[in-house]
Amino acid sequence: MSQPNEPGIASSAVTRFAHDLLAAELPALPPDRRADAVGFVVRRVESLPSIMRFGVSTIGLSVDAVGALVGRGRMRGMITRLPLPLLAEYPRLVRSLGFAYVWETWPDTLVDGGAAS
Amino acid sequence: MTHHDCDVLVVGSGAGGATTAAILAEAGHDVLILEEGPWVEQGEVRPFSLAQMDKQYRAGGVTVALGLPSIAYTEGRCAGGGTEVNSGLYWRPPEETIERWRSRYSIQDFRTDDLLSICEEVEEELSVQKVPGEHTPSSQIMRRGADRLGWKNDEIPRWMAYPEGAGATEGTRQSMTKTYLPRAFAAGARILCEHRLDAIVRTGRRAVGAEASHDGESVTISFRDIVVCGGAIQTPAILQRAGFRHRIGRTLAVHPTVKLSARFENEVNTPDDVSVYQVKEFSPNISFGGSASHPGLVALALTDNWRDFGRAVTSWPELAIYYAAITSEGRGIVQTIPGVRDPLVTYRLTKRDRDLLGQGLARLAMVMLEADAEEVYPSFKGAPVVRNRADISTMASSFAASKASVMTVHLCSTAPMGDDEKRCATDSHGLVHGSDNVYVNDAALLPEAPGVNPQASVMAVAIRNARRYCDERAG
Repeated sequence: MSQPNEPGIASSAVTRFAHDLLAAELPALPPDRRADAVGFVVRRVESLPSIMRFGVSTIGLSVDAVGALVGRGRMRGMITRLPLPLLAEYPRLVRSLGFAYVWETWPDTLVDGGAAS
Repeated sequence: MTHHDCDVLVVGSGAGGATTAAILAEAGHDVLILEEGPWVEQGEVRPFSLAQMDKQYRAGGVTVALGLPSIAYTEGRCAGGGTEVNSGLYWRPPEETIERWRSRYSIQDFRTDDLLSICEEVEEELSVQKVPGEHTPSSQIMRRGADRLGWKNDEIPRWMAYPEGAGATEGTRQSMTKTYLPRAFAAGARILCEHRLDAIVRTGRRAVGAEASHDGESVTISFRDIVVCGGAIQTPAILQRAGFRHRIGRTLAVHPTVKLSARFENEVNTPDDVSVYQVKEFSPNISFGGSASHPGLVALALTDNWRDFGRAVTSWPELAIYYAAITSEGRGIVQTIPGVRDPLVTYRLTKRDRDLLGQGLARLAMVMLEADAEEVYPSFKGAPVVRNRADISTMASSFAASKASVMTVHLCSTAPMGDDEKRCATDSHGLVHGSDNVYVNDAALLPEAPGVNPQASVMAVAIRNARRYCDERAG
């Protein structure tokens, strides 16, 4: 699995989470497209209104920190499945932004993220 | 530091600000418009695209009123405001709504005939009309489904100029940058785009100046009067920062909507346009209409249940997105927090609102099935694929508003007008209670969500108030 490598955002918790989520849910999305989509998600998160941005960053950092202990995949799976108020909004936001970007930019993308032949 | 002087500073250039600026400038006032967003010519960005959201929406279109569920909303942030980016559908304020507002909020000189007469002027100015030629497939679907059910539906006119006999997608939007803003400029008004208002400077009941910023530079503005037209979220935030609190930002009203995607046998998706047909059988409580259906937005609409719905995304040309909107009894709050740039927005749906959203979604699914949809994908977590009426029952029983992607584009009522000071933030013509020269003239003034697309109501009220202002100054 490729890793995000853009300078400046590579260390961001949101970047890691978005990268992992897209890799898990759109496994065939080519790495360059995934990097573009992650970049879009992070730019949008950075331009959120102040309070939303603070909330998303706080949740992102917490998820990242706990994920470092219990495993990021396990943590992502847990908050994606469980109907936890606010916390569940985090993967929902990242998925919504990422998927909207992928299909708006490459409308012929397959359901697993693969490029149409 | 740059300094500007004017008679009247108008903050915001959307449906309220542009009309206000035109009326005041034409009456001889020296008007300066302060607009936070950029000037974007039509055609520069694709309608309803992510690029448009980046350029013409606040926060790229990702703004949320927190609650259970949270409600996503959008605000235009560009010259012309929401009129540049919305569907351009035009509804006069219903007469019974005008009458209810007048009596419930003690709005003086708020005569139905006067407002409807202003609506006629607006319709002329904006070329409000129905599509002269062929409708998009998504419009035909809405009409067909409602007709087969025997449900009341109609084509909603839009502010569009069409070549003779042209189809729905061939019109030119007659938004504020094409109509009232050029009128204002012709009468001498000026605009400062990409200037954010940071503060209103007060001396007691009077506002005496404004502090703004542009590209990191400070800008100061002196004026005689200021008219705040920043929309239902920014207007109360601006007023609260200036120290005005009475009934400001306490009664946010919206039309919450839930959505579904429907897949048909043939290609129906028109990415750059929306259905102009709306179903009003259950109006004012519930209405149905069409949403933008770019492939990206189709993917977005399917994400709540990606495992079950995701496969449909490759068929996006055969999909279109529709919404059920309700008139909400719930209310929201817009609250500034010291030291924080953007306000906190919250909204609470009532039980009746939640029930209506479920009923609306079920009935909308019926319209789609009657219109020959092969599959319907409701936008809430755990929703089933709907293929027949039995599936609608299953869907209805599993619906909960807290699981749905609820959103709205109609926001109002955060500085309601009227002489009833217990209920209202401004007097009957937009003068903020507790102030001598700070006015509001936008969607924030509407005492309640009107149950129809609100921008005609906003423009009619704004023109009424602007004329009153001119008459008082002339007298």
